[in-house]
Amino acid sequence: MLPSYYEFHNPVKIVSGNKALDNLPSEFETLGAKRPMVITDKGVSGAGLTKIFIDSFASSGMTIGAIFDDVPPDSSSEVVEKITSIFRQNKCDSLVALGGGSVIDTAKGVNILVTENSDDLLEFSGAEMLKKPMKPLVVIPTTSGTGSEVTVVAVISDVKRNLKMAFTSTHLLPDIALLDPRMTLTLPPKMTAATAMDAMSHAVEAYINLQKNPMSDAYAVAAIELIRKNVLKAVSDGNNSEVRLAMANASTMAGIAFSNSMVGVVHALGHAAGGICHIPHGVAMNIFLPFGLEYNMPKCRENIAKLLLPIAGADVYARTPEPRRAEQMIHYLIELRKALNDLCGLPINLKQAGVTEDHLPEIAQAAMNDPSLIMNPREMDVNDALVILKKAFE
Amino acid sequence: MSVQYRPVVPGIKRFKILVIKIIFIVLGRAFQSASQHDEEIKKEISSWRNGFTLLMKVMPDGPYMGLEKRDNMLEFKGSKLKKADLEIYFRNVESAFMIMTPQMGSHQAFAERRMSIKGDLNIATAFTRTLVIVMSTLYPEFIVKRLVKRVPPLTFKRFGLRIWLYTIGILLGR
Repeated sequence: MLPSYYEFHNPVKIVSGNKALDNLPSEFETLGAKRPMVITDKGVSGAGLTKIFIDSFASSGMTIGAIFDDVPPDSSSEVVEKITSIFRQNKCDSLVALGGGSVIDTAKGVNILVTENSDDLLEFSGAEMLKKPMKPLVVIPTTSGTGSEVTVVAVISDVKRNLKMAFTSTHLLPDIALLDPRMTLTLPPKMTAATAMDAMSHAVEAYINLQKNPMSDAYAVAAIELIRKNVLKAVSDGNNSEVRLAMANASTMAGIAFSNSMVGVVHALGHAAGGICHIPHGVAMNIFLPFGLEYNMPKCRENIAKLLLPIAGADVYARTPEPRRAEQMIHYLIELRKALNDLCGLPINLKQAGVTEDHLPEIAQAAMNDPSLIMNPREMDVNDALVILKKAFE
Repeated sequence: MSVQYRPVVPGIKRFKILVIKIIFIVLGRAFQSASQHDEEIKKEISSWRNGFTLLMKVMPDGPYMGLEKRDNMLEFKGSKLKKADLEIYFRNVESAFMIMTPQMGSHQAFAERRMSIKGDLNIATAFTRTLVIVMSTLYPEFIVKRLVKRVPPLTFKRFGLRIWLYTIGILLGR
């Protein structure tokens, strides 16, 4: 059934495929940019990806304005300010984010400061605080999970003020998401699994929550099917370019889905657990996803049931009686988690992830103010959160 | 005969704007009163800094409804505030009318992008919970059921607050 009203927005150009990177200079030309600044991290540079990037600009006549390769695992306002000053000193006119979630969020933060000609990110923290079109931004993800290359969101810590600043604005959408399989070939198995389950959680939550719409549904279903068909191969055979490209596409599709219909309790609990116990986001998503679905089941059983098709395939879907499809969907998700746990040790409960039971009430409380809850189908209170956390503990 | 093309100035939705203004006054005073008596609202706003301002605004030019946290309560500021720390926008008069009358709940309105937020999203999430409490205290359950995801229990205390709001709270904001 169609919602009585919905909106869908995704102006990001997707450039995907073998040697896609080599088309970047011509893409910059189309964007009217001549001197891009590259933002990346030591891991990406160490894996030789920055060199592949530089090589793709050979004989293009373009100059790379500067390369900053020291973004920390958690993006911070200090780093954003430092990169902003390098951007200005080197007279750059555009940005490239080459990395995972932290690098992409940092690049979005830099774009805010250079566009608004400011030195204080806090002024622009919150929803819809940005009014000007941004400098051209190309995102080249080196993980397949965050979906940040197609989202309106950035999260950056202000260490001095001890704040986590969230930014949401359509102006934060990059101009281009470039998916080149070479960029994810070196991703280790456990991180491949964790980021894949992050993408899975984006697609699943996008499909069940209040802002779902036919467009986001299409992206969500396609993403889940791609993940189901490729994730185990990507973890066990990381050098397979075809599989890596499929996972990169799945992550981008899931990103488009949740950027248009938001996420729910799984993310609220994951953000809180990440903030308090420093669990990597993908690991938290892997742990909470089945419990979040079970919790939401009374409000969206039919939607969960429909996801059995992409997560288990047509045969399983056809032979499962309709009243059992929702439970079976969760069952197949749990089976996938088990397979990933066997393959690479991806934690399936909070205890395995190093969380102690005394932290659960604090996580439950912190989850209550997470904006992800607004679009969740069921109103979660702190007692509900604690029940989910206890189930996810061991 | 040549056709004359002239600028067209659309009219003003006076009735709907008047209704929204009246409901903003009722809601603002209900917030001011409930924030002094309801323990859950007190708990929700306890972490907001003193002087924190909140504005509900119908785009593009109002009406407005402002609130300010003062001495652990929310003080109704009428339409005096034009900017605030947290601003909640109704996209247009029709959306505001639909939400305020109340034909649509805030979650549905956010989902349909009829309402949007400017400012701290964590505080906005807490504010939507206080809005649910105030709405469910003001309106009977058969209306509230359509507006919220979970109807808060109408405890004896909250039933008392409902009577208080209709007799004293909305009139005097106490």
